[in-house]
Formats: sequence, C-alpha cells, structure tokens
Amino acid sequence: MNSSSSRVRLLQCFAFCLPAAIIIFIFFFVPMVRSLQLSFTDWDGISLTSQWVGLDNFRTVISHRSFNQIVRNTIYLMVIYIPLLNVFALFIAIQIYEVKNLGNLYKTVFFLPNMLSMTVVGFIWKLIFSFHNGIINKFFRTVGLNALANDWLGDPSLVLPSMTMTIIWYALGYYVLIYLSGLYNIPVELYEATEVEGASSRQKFVNVTIPMLAPAITINIILSTIGLITLFDLPFVLTGGGPGYNSQTIALQIYYLGFVTLQPKLALALAVILGIFAILIIIVLMKILRKREENIL
Amino acid sequence: MKISAQKQLHKLKILLVNHGILILFACLFLIPIWYTIISAFKLDRFIFTQPLSINAASFTVSNIVRAFRIMNYPRMFFNSMMILGISCLMLIIFGSMAAYGIAMARHKFFERMYGFFIILITLPFQLAMVPLISMLKNMNLINTFLGTSLVYGGFYMSFVIFLYTGFIRSIPSELEDAARVDGCGLLKMYIYIYFPLLKTITGVILILRGVAIWNDLLIPLITITRTANATLPLRLMSFVGSYYTSWGLVFGGTLLVSLPILCIFLLLQRFFVKGIMSGAIKQ
Repeated sequence: MNSSSSRVRLLQCFAFCLPAAIIIFIFFFVPMVRSLQLSFTDWDGISLTSQWVGLDNFRTVISHRSFNQIVRNTIYLMVIYIPLLNVFALFIAIQIYEVKNLGNLYKTVFFLPNMLSMTVVGFIWKLIFSFHNGIINKFFRTVGLNALANDWLGDPSLVLPSMTMTIIWYALGYYVLIYLSGLYNIPVELYEATEVEGASSRQKFVNVTIPMLAPAITINIILSTIGLITLFDLPFVLTGGGPGYNSQTIALQIYYLGFVTLQPKLALALAVILGIFAILIIIVLMKILRKREENIL
Repeated sequence: MKISAQKQLHKLKILLVNHGILILFACLFLIPIWYTIISAFKLDRFIFTQPLSINAASFTVSNIVRAFRIMNYPRMFFNSMMILGISCLMLIIFGSMAAYGIAMARHKFFERMYGFFIILITLPFQLAMVPLISMLKNMNLINTFLGTSLVYGGFYMSFVIFLYTGFIRSIPSELEDAARVDGCGLLKMYIYIYFPLLKTITGVILILRGVAIWNDLLIPLITITRTANATLPLRLMSFVGSYYTSWGLVFGGTLLVSLPILCIFLLLQRFFVKGIMSGAIKQ
C-alpha cells in the first residue's frame, strides 16, 4: 500500500471520530476550560466579558463560614461510606457465591434499588426517616424503645450516618455484582489446591480470595469514590444539605452557588477545587491500590 | 461414608448460615420498596396507622389516579423517552464510529486522542456545569430535547468510546484483512461487518448509561425550566414539593415514576445482571 492511500485511510478514520469529538469538545471540554479560566474573573454568568480578579473567588469561597463544614462533610461521607459499602458488598457477594442456588434471585433483590431514580430513593427514605410518622421511629416506639426514635434527618449528628445508610441501600447491588464477577473469575483449582494443603476457610479467604479479587477491589474503591464525590441527586432530594449546612457537600454547594444564589464565579471556584480534589484522590488511590496489587501478585 | 457426612454437614451449614444471612438482608432491602408500593394504594390515614399491611378498608387507587393526572404523566413520559432516545442514539452511533476510527487507524495521533478521552471520564460534571448552561442559553438549547441530550452526549461519550474501543480491539484483525481483500471500504466495513458485531456491548452501554440518563435529576434540573418540558424525575421533584403533606400522593407519584424502569428491569433481569457484570470487567 502506498503512502497516499494510507493518508486517505487516516483521514477517513478521522472523519469517523469527528462527530463524537465535536460533541465532547463543545459540550464538555470547552465549558470545562471556561470554568478554569472564568474562576479567576468576576464573571456574572451572562456577559461575555469579565475582569481578571486573580484568586479573589477562591479566597471568598474558602473564607465562607460554611466551607470547612462542607469539606468536612464530604470527607466524612468518604471515610464512612467507602469502607462500609465495600466490606458489606464483598460480604453479600461471598454469601451469594457460596449458596449457588437462588443466586439470581438474590442478585435481583440487592440490585433492585439501583434501578430506581435517586429522586425516588430520596423521597422514599425521607418519609421512612420522618420523625412522627416514619416507619423507623414507628418500629422503635412499637417495641418500646422510645429513646431510639430520633429525628434522623433533622439532628446534626445523625444526618450524615442516615444519608450514608440511604446511599448504601441504593448503591450496594452494583458493587455486589462487580465483586461477584471477580469471584466467578477465580479458578476453582486454586481453592482445591489450598484445600489439599489443609487450609482453613479463613486462610483460603486471606490467601486466595482477597489477592485474586484485587482488581475488583481497585475498581470498586475508585468507582465508589468518584461516585460519592460528585453525588448530587440523592443528598439534594433527601436533605437538600440541611439541617443548616450539616449535610451539605461540595457537589451540592456548587449547584446552590451556580443556580440558586446566582454567584456563578464562586460556583466555578468551588468546582475547580472539587476537580483538583477528585484528581488528587484518584491519583493517590491508584498509587496505593496498584502497589498493593503488585505486592500480592 | 465420612466424606459424604461432611458434605451433608457443609450443605446444612450453607442452608442455615448463608441463606439465613441473605434472606435477612434481602428482606431488609425489600421493606422500603414494599412500603412504597402498598402505601401508594392506601388512604393517607392508614399509611400512618398500618404502615406495612394493606386490606380492603385501606385500599384505594385514587392516589395513583390523581398523581397521574396532576403530574401530566403521559407528557412527562414522552419527554423522558425523547431525551433518552436522542441521547442513546447519539452515544451509540457516534461513540461506536469514533471507537472504530481509533481502532482502525493504529496511529499515534489517534492514541493520544483516545488517552485524552479516557482522562475526561474521570473528571466531574460539576467542573463544566455552569459555563455549559450559560452556553446552552446562548444557543437557545434550554428546554429542548436536543439540548439536554447533547449535555448527556458530551459527558458520557468518552466512556462509551472507551467501552467500544476495547471491544473492537478484541476482534481478530483477520476479519479486517479478509474484508479488505474483498475490496470492502472503511464505511462499508463499519456498517456491514463491525456494527452488527457490537450488539452485546451496545446492550451493556444501554444498560449502564441508558438507566442513568432515564433516572437522572441534575441535568434536567439545570437544562429544563418549563414544567411542560420536564422529565419524570424532575416532575416528581416539583410534584412532591407541592403535595408534600399528602403522603398517599407522594407515594403514588413515586411509584408511577419508578414503574417503567422496574417493569423493564424485572422482565430483562438476567440480561441486566449479566450486562453489568461483563461491563464491570472491562472497566
């Protein structure tokens, strides 16, 4: 094949990429670059012109009385939710893997909430957590444990744990399925070999299951972290960030600044902070998890 | 003899312990869904007094009927379907074309572009959100099916290209060589040979991204301002806002909004589970 026909071929390939590239470029990449650029200006959200103001927006966002709380809430959710979700999902996946019978039924049940809209999930749980008529408090009052009937979403110290529980109910099934596909990929011979050596079930778990699941664990931790950092719909419907700023996250605050209180320049500064935060977390996680995978193999 | 006794014991253990744990958690997981379904068919006062049971005295369909009418359900359903349809067509056609172009070119420039798309997958939507909406306003794309779909297109396209490229690269190159010998051009090869091979992965993409688009709230919330153009989740949001004191109506509306996706999921349940599990390996 001569070089002019291979050039034609490359041009054709480029034409195939063009529609998708244009959509990504105009509707995601350009706005992202604009965010970066405009976060250093006094942009009002409408005008095409704006004045450079340096780091002013970042200073305003960071010095706002709610900033520490918002960052704390986001990190709190990460630290509680990600380990809890992954341990629980792995636990359920192992049970389903071991029973073999009825596996499909269990998978369907645990995956069912994941098919619902987070808007729906938010409303259902808002009613379930309700102080006067919610079924959780009804249950505690019926069995005589009145002290346990709490204002689950109204009490500043309970709202984040309640929200964590709701997110786990919603998300668990997806992560169970990923762990299960990891478990099914472990060759049975590996278990048989350790059995011949007389390994206990705990040893099998530590020496075979966990190392062989390393890729699935990596995927799940990274997916659940990205998902949580950018999570909007569920907290928005469930608490709207309240009471006060007690369950406000960075992702929610960007929406409020950009579209409710109409301070787009501050929304942009916070979005840039979120972007940097997300990238840093992913890089750190990748480093740790990859290293762990290598150590095991 | 001893071995079979051990096996019996093991079976018993699985039956009692593993099934026990699973049934317990499965019930806990199903309670909120059961509660929603029966509450949607109950008069308000019975929702509070008999939360987990239903009988002839408490039964009503008026919640569902009223929620259906107040929400203007058929219109909202149509809006949701249009946005889903346009976004998915865009993602599948343009996404598979781009992946095909990248896989066929085998060239440094295309590899760089592919790497660039992969980096975009990990970046949060919030980073583009505010200027994106101001741009849509300038382009008169607010409150249009196309505008909302293009936002999904821009945000999800990289991920779709990533899945398709992985899949196309796993197809043996002998297929391409054979087609070339027969004088088949790139476009013909895409339409008649490659695209038909992408059925499974297209199913996986529809499940992974179609469900997310159908259920999404954030993007409709910022791209749609008129109630007449709302999607089902967005309409549910404003509906519950106005009728918050009537739990029966809230549950009725919630059930109505969930019904289409629940039906599809329960019908195609095996396919969904398989799709997610095979998609998981590729990520």
